[in-house]
Amino acid sequence: MIKVTGLEDAAVAIADAMANQQHLSVQSMATKSALGRDVSYDSYLDVSAFTGIKDYQPDELILTVRAGTPMHEVEAELASANQMLAFEAPDLHKLLGAQSAGTIGGVLATNASGPRRLTAGAARDYLLGFDAISGRGERFKSGGKVMKNVTGYDLSKLICGSYGTLAVFDEVTFKTLPRPETNISLLFGCEDMTAAVAKIASVFASPHEPNAAAILPGSMAASAGIDVPEAMVVIIRLEGIDVSVTDRALHLLAADPSGAEIDENSSSALWQRIRDVELLVNQPGDVWKLSCAPAAAPNIIAAVQNHFDMTFFADWAGGLLWLAGPSGASFGTALRTALANNGSGYAQLVRDQADTKTVITPFQPLSSAHYALHKRIKAAFDPLSVLNLGRMHDGI
Amino acid sequence: MQMPEPDQSVIDRRDTICRDLRNLTANHCVVDSVEGRRAYDADGLAAYRQLPLAVVLPETVEEIAAVMKYCHREGIKVVPRGSGTSLSGGALPLADAILVGLGKFNRILDIDYTNRCVVSQPGVTNLAITHAVQADGFYYAPDPSSQIACSVGGNVAENSGGVHCLKYGLTTNNLLGIELVTIEGEILRLGGKHLDAGDYDLMGVMTGSEGLLGVVSEVTLRILQKPATQRALLVGFDDTGSAAEAVGDVIAAGIIPAGMEMMDGLAINAAEDFANAGYPRGAAALLIIELDGPEIEVNTLIDRVTRIMDTAGASSLKVSNSEEERNLFWAGRKSAFPAVGRISPDYLCMDGTIPRRRLPDMMVRMASLSQKYGLRVANVFHAGDGNLHPLILFDANEADELRRAEDFGADILRACVEMGGVLTGEHGVGVEKRDLMSIQFTEDDLKQQQRLKCAFDAGHLLNPGKVFPHLHRCAELGRLHVHKGKMPFPDLPRF
Repeated sequence: MIKVTGLEDAAVAIADAMANQQHLSVQSMATKSALGRDVSYDSYLDVSAFTGIKDYQPDELILTVRAGTPMHEVEAELASANQMLAFEAPDLHKLLGAQSAGTIGGVLATNASGPRRLTAGAARDYLLGFDAISGRGERFKSGGKVMKNVTGYDLSKLICGSYGTLAVFDEVTFKTLPRPETNISLLFGCEDMTAAVAKIASVFASPHEPNAAAILPGSMAASAGIDVPEAMVVIIRLEGIDVSVTDRALHLLAADPSGAEIDENSSSALWQRIRDVELLVNQPGDVWKLSCAPAAAPNIIAAVQNHFDMTFFADWAGGLLWLAGPSGASFGTALRTALANNGSGYAQLVRDQADTKTVITPFQPLSSAHYALHKRIKAAFDPLSVLNLGRMHDGI
Repeated sequence: MQMPEPDQSVIDRRDTICRDLRNLTANHCVVDSVEGRRAYDADGLAAYRQLPLAVVLPETVEEIAAVMKYCHREGIKVVPRGSGTSLSGGALPLADAILVGLGKFNRILDIDYTNRCVVSQPGVTNLAITHAVQADGFYYAPDPSSQIACSVGGNVAENSGGVHCLKYGLTTNNLLGIELVTIEGEILRLGGKHLDAGDYDLMGVMTGSEGLLGVVSEVTLRILQKPATQRALLVGFDDTGSAAEAVGDVIAAGIIPAGMEMMDGLAINAAEDFANAGYPRGAAALLIIELDGPEIEVNTLIDRVTRIMDTAGASSLKVSNSEEERNLFWAGRKSAFPAVGRISPDYLCMDGTIPRRRLPDMMVRMASLSQKYGLRVANVFHAGDGNLHPLILFDANEADELRRAEDFGADILRACVEMGGVLTGEHGVGVEKRDLMSIQFTEDDLKQQQRLKCAFDAGHLLNPGKVFPHLHRCAELGRLHVHKGKMPFPDLPRF
């Protein structure tokens, strides 16, 4: 274990690893180490000392924070100025059996985004800039501390979701946003997934600005305290100032009187359970997440539902499916086949109960051309594979 | 501006190259006459002109791939071009490079309301996307000023913004998928109708890469439902500092307007002369604040913003009460560039970003630079996000004025970086700001960016001479520092 306190000694540690032909596993609170493949490493590079809020200017919508800062500290700081990270990072610690939500760096490394991703964007959309040490042991920065910037390549996008395989980052700068004054949710029963996706499309074709949309099977909804007779429940969240939220709810319910409204407290609690995938924590087996075109979701579910003992729910208007099913390769293979038959997307193993990742790759496999390009990018940042070797793919 | 030394051996082969390109495109779409090539000799940065070696206008992605493969094999440089509206010289031709024009890729391929996206060829204009979906109540949010002409493929290359990106983001935040052709002629699809990459976000780095990483051959864009109501406030201030503070106060109150624009005195008067928009002539600064959304919300927020403006010391305030009036408020701002064109034979439009709180400092700095160079400057800002557009007024027919204007502009951009900002907020680096990159970035920062370039284009064939002040060979960039006398893995290929 090599514990470093800043980028200077991280650079030394990486240079030493290069010279000694060693590989490092980069971690802080290790709450997301279950994600991805097992890393080949000789020692840990512990960056948990990279903590602290460096600069926060609410009226500039800018937050600079060190990557090892725990999420709860970041969120508390933002709440003090009535702001938030709009991508609504999920806290998957219950699902993954970890101790806490982990750090802001972990959120970035996994590009973790919650229900508001549908309308407000992902973690990658809010990272404005960073300071880092590459796998070459060299310090570099990208982006900046302003909201609008197209100077040079947008490496922030590349770093987000790269699972620590390209660089070790320290200071990261985000765009923040004001917290909505209130939120409520509307519930609509639907006979099946197709009807649910169509219902959401009709709400999004209105000017009433829904900002999140999920689909729960009736039985799962019942366990969350929502009783509707239909097989599926569509949940639409409205956020904003009070008069606006009330008015929009009235319009949407007037257009479809079958709907029901739940108040701010129930709505917030429900969306937190959706965000954190708590609805699947007690389901047996592995948990996969699948990103697809929203309209493809009914076909994908139909293709796998009768062949496996599985449960699921959908976020992002149907575009994000969370599925619990049997461990082993066959479930993930079936999901990827269904996905390939229904357009573009990816299926990722999130909770692995029985070494499933030894028989099927947890990340969506890459085509040979994509893989070759990924390898060249990995080499551009980390030519000797010092950082998190093999976390995402073979050699990456 | 020094461009890379043209390769005379390529120029000498021009006739052969044109013949080969003709054979690679079914309809022989190659422009090789001097008159024909003249139409492509500049983009929106019209001070720089260069005839391209030849222009090829492919009609299918397979033809793009064939042209790229050919250029890669023959070691010929390629400059991609959409509509040629870049303000930073991103599509400036090179004497020894093929210009690949995407103008024939002008069809919208799929309008998908269930998935709320449009799949389009790259040569379609930005505004045409909105036109295709507006009858059904949808629109495409990024709205660069050139939206009537600029192409969506070019928008991806430049990561274009617009006046509404404070609330709705830039191109990168509204892009779901692209198809790209690599310099090796490989066709890759990134993203699609789903959200986010499961792997390295290659679409994210392609966006804003200024044609240096690949040629965009198809885009999938997110479309949004048009807001029910849009209303704007026109607010005058006697000093720019109070106006800048008022902008911060709006955001601190938890309000994110659809747009927040600011103009200084010279720009206000020029725009008013041009458009008769009812701007307060005596004001030192003018804010245009637009709110959109459900009617009841917009009306409530108009009241809140009005109170904030009063408290901040506004000298005048008008609220639009009709679409006609709102459009009139914008008419002055949107005609600011031609309006300034009327009061000066030439102008240079700059594009830096600063932390907004530094705006008063920047105004002072610009005034002193204006004196130093003996040139006037008019200012329009995207105030909400700190993006400046100083317009430096000059006369190209006067000896030395262009050079002075360029030096003035470079000093403004240096000041942007010094104040914690960046060289370009939305126009791109191109050739215009290329030689200033080392003000914002260290040599290591730039080398790391170029290593990414090498992963896509190891031969530096795609749009060379843009963005980076020094071209390092990829083999040199791949070399590793020898630590403690040991060269690790000496046999490993570095790239």
